[in-house]
Amino acid sequence: MSELLALAPDETKIGSTQPTTEFLSFHWNSQFPSLLLSLPLPLPFALFSCTTSPFLMKRIRFSRCATERLASTTSNTTTPRRPSCIHNVAPSNYKIRLQTRFQSTAAAASDAIPAEMDAGAAEPVAPESKPSASSSRAHTRRRLPLEQLPSPHPHSASQSIKLAALRSRLSLPERFPLQTLARTLVHPSADADPAFNNASLSILGANLLGYYTTEYLMCNYPRLPMSVMFAAQDAYIGPKALALISREWGIEAAAAPGGEVDPGLLQFKRLQAGSGIPGVLKQELPWKWNKTTTHKILATDEFGSDQKPPSPHDLARTPVPVQEAAQSFVRALIGSLQLHLGTPLVKRFFRDHFLSRQLDLSTLFDFRTPTRDVSRLCAREGFEPPVARLISETGRLSRHPVFVVGIYSGKDKLGEGAGSSLDEAKVRAAAAALKAWYLYRPLEVTVPSSTENELDAKKWRPNMVDCGEVIV
Amino acid sequence: MPLSALRTVAKPQNGVGAFILQCKKLEFHYCDWAGSSRGMNAFLKSSLSAFAKRNPSIEISVSPRPRKHPVIRAHYINGNQRSICVRNMTNDIIREKAELLRDASGEKNQKYNKPVTSINESVRGIWSPFHGAKIQI
Repeated sequence: MSELLALAPDETKIGSTQPTTEFLSFHWNSQFPSLLLSLPLPLPFALFSCTTSPFLMKRIRFSRCATERLASTTSNTTTPRRPSCIHNVAPSNYKIRLQTRFQSTAAAASDAIPAEMDAGAAEPVAPESKPSASSSRAHTRRRLPLEQLPSPHPHSASQSIKLAALRSRLSLPERFPLQTLARTLVHPSADADPAFNNASLSILGANLLGYYTTEYLMCNYPRLPMSVMFAAQDAYIGPKALALISREWGIEAAAAPGGEVDPGLLQFKRLQAGSGIPGVLKQELPWKWNKTTTHKILATDEFGSDQKPPSPHDLARTPVPVQEAAQSFVRALIGSLQLHLGTPLVKRFFRDHFLSRQLDLSTLFDFRTPTRDVSRLCAREGFEPPVARLISETGRLSRHPVFVVGIYSGKDKLGEGAGSSLDEAKVRAAAAALKAWYLYRPLEVTVPSSTENELDAKKWRPNMVDCGEVIV
Repeated sequence: MPLSALRTVAKPQNGVGAFILQCKKLEFHYCDWAGSSRGMNAFLKSSLSAFAKRNPSIEISVSPRPRKHPVIRAHYINGNQRSICVRNMTNDIIREKAELLRDASGEKNQKYNKPVTSINESVRGIWSPFHGAKIQI
């Protein structure tokens, strides 16, 4: 084993000559993001060509070879390092460092990326061999080992193959920085620092998702009852739906968050098996004892939930279930897309990934007294009072009778249903009539967000506003 | 409450709006010594970079597997994995195998007897004996 350890530095020296550096610069152009993990490839080939011992191969950690190599090339860079706590900073350069911290996930210019990656590669391994050089610098900082960071360093994002693959899988353009993508994957439970977790981005993203879904539903289905509207919102962008979406995007969760973990994994503090849900997540009492629909519209979230959802900032250092972390990632991704790529791309992304999902709104209705609702509806709208008439029947005296009943208002058939008894058929027909009314969809719809940043508002057509569901 | 609503989740339709490639990771295992991975080594040296460039959404890893046959292993979004042993295969055949793994959905192979499977309702509706023209007997 000592032989091997002695061999490895030699190998790194060999690697730092012509062929390997060429290879590294080749993929640091960020042309082939997913080739990053093939970094060990030239090293083993070079190694085996010089040693030619098959038994040597399995002992050497190629990833360690690679990191040592990277550290040895650029150990004298002066990039800002992440301190353990912002209050420990020396007062001389406090402002500059704070600024650097807050800008750490900002978009980098494309030509600046290789230098930054270079620095990032040097970052993880502290050059302990040269303490005099580091202490002679004007700003001496305590260099933390990666294991002590709560979440991956932003510099390591540009080297993560998982992040590059994820960006490409979601068809996001190259100008969307990987550092931001990495930040969206850090839940506040992993990193309590709001400059490095996704809390603020997820708040923005949740608002955007709620806005686009609400306007789509309200403009396309103007007569939808509020409870169904809440359920439809929940089906498109509810917590379960977002967690499902993140799983379909191939997001994997890290076993535990930390600075040494691949930034392409979802970072959050896991809820231990057997431990109960933390108090922040389960709030027993409703916001108020007022539970009317009006109250839900005015005071609760877009899903009309009884409990107040916790603010992302409240979840710092709290162990959370996977669903909570996954939904915060999807929301934060939307928020960061808005910030980096702008509204049109977010709208397209929303249409492609969220509205394209299949949801049959007619299956969401759960009527209790459909016949009474139909008669109230007809009275409200000035139709003739509804009458149920038998359209056809078969096997009335048999074991499987079928009745087809229609609900008629004057000569107009409002709905029709089939059932194995006259009552069942009548109830089904009334439900069909109500669904036909509530699921009305105008032919041409312009959503309000389509006129954002438009100079001429001539394309805008006012939407239909309905007086609401039947109140009995 | 005259009307309440049932809570569900909208179903995914991959490819209707956005398309997500289901293969998320490809692992290439080779042996530097054994002759069965001669083609694999040639593939890694010559064609892998082009393959990775063409498929940026796949995470690619290369690792040695000494004294074993070369293997390509694919990991899919649904959690399944699939592997193909590529011993004694040439460069081109290995590329075809890698593309086969890339294009697979990760589901188990199964026989589809119906030409069309859809979660949408039929446009024509289900035939009903109670509607339409009555047949006179």
